[in-house]
Amino acid sequence: MITEEAVLTRLAGGRLVESLEQMSPIYLEGIQRILTVSADTELISAPAYYHAAQDAPSANAFVSAMGIIQDELGHAHIAYRLLQDLGVNKEQLIYERRPEDFKYPYAFDVPLDAWVELVVANAFYDRAGYVLLGDVFHHSTFGPWKRALVKVDREENFHLRHGETWMRKIVKEPGGREKLQRAVDWMFPLTVEWFGLPDTLKKHTEQLNYGLKGSSNDQLRQTWLSTAAPLCETLGLRVPAHYEAGEGRYILDYPFPCAFDAQEKRWRFEEGQITWDEVLKRWKARGPKNAEFVGGVQRGYREWAEMVRS
Amino acid sequence: MTPAQLARANASPEEQPLWSALEDVTDPEFPLSVVDMGLIYGLRREGEKVHLALTFTAMGCPCMDFILGDIRERLLQEPGVSQVEIAIVWDPPWTKSRLTAKGVERLRRCGVTV
Repeated sequence: MITEEAVLTRLAGGRLVESLEQMSPIYLEGIQRILTVSADTELISAPAYYHAAQDAPSANAFVSAMGIIQDELGHAHIAYRLLQDLGVNKEQLIYERRPEDFKYPYAFDVPLDAWVELVVANAFYDRAGYVLLGDVFHHSTFGPWKRALVKVDREENFHLRHGETWMRKIVKEPGGREKLQRAVDWMFPLTVEWFGLPDTLKKHTEQLNYGLKGSSNDQLRQTWLSTAAPLCETLGLRVPAHYEAGEGRYILDYPFPCAFDAQEKRWRFEEGQITWDEVLKRWKARGPKNAEFVGGVQRGYREWAEMVRS
Repeated sequence: MTPAQLARANASPEEQPLWSALEDVTDPEFPLSVVDMGLIYGLRREGEKVHLALTFTAMGCPCMDFILGDIRERLLQEPGVSQVEIAIVWDPPWTKSRLTAKGVERLRRCGVTV
């Protein structure tokens, strides 16, 4: 472990951080936090996607979805493995943590109940992953993760193309546009929220100062909007956001942040803007599928441990 | 010369533009075409109908529907083409020796060892 000054000097010289020995306490805490979020997100996307993959319209479509799920588990493995190299107990982190302590986005706690919702998730959620990890890939100062993300970047590209291709297909089916619109209505704002607190409220500035990522939450949110909104528009789907040429950015056409009814999958726009403290409270309480999805991942480990003990 | 390049070299003047059209169809993950991947085993034009023999890199390829859809969509944009018939061929199996030099170079640029 080295001092903060030493790590900042190393980074100023354009050198990457390669191991625990080259990290300072703040760098280590920051990289562990961002890796945990990434690993948990990839891991829980697997049961979340599998839940909807069972509604696949054909065997080939199911195989495509399973290919994506397999990729996601591979991505999770990369991040958990790096955490292990940084002194974290991987087994404990995955199998012994309480479901509500997992750090993945709230969106994955809301069930994807149909194939149409899975493909919109590929187009929206995987795009969010592509934007976030693409930023880490290009800017991260942690060498081992940067190199591992070459593969992840390509695979996430496939996932979002999968979503886009299916959306283009479904929109041509009778009633397809309406089905897609219903999914977009709740999933679009949920992905906008995915990028977290606005820059004015963000607490963990070490992520930018130490080069753990390159862009701020609001910049990444704009990057996502700049491709997700046009995709929907070309398919004739309404989104609650528009591009404001004068400001050179997307503006949200609904109160942000906003209350969400997870059971009904409905945003309570009529209640107006809420505070980020209220959003954080919802996130911390987790959503409907948190215990089931994490429990499913942990079940085999627990049963095996019980069998060994008996 | 890879088998696909040989087939292309022997293509008729009516078939040549179809090979070029297939160069627009990219692999869902990597930025290289199905032609440079060496997936096209044969192409024949019969009036408005195109017969294509195609393989995949693996029998469990999760992108089969994807690639077939993209190929159909692109070939149907060619003047005078109204039907695309695709036969999936598993023998001989695909190996990396079927990649074109351009394909190898593109994959290497993406960090894939070939």
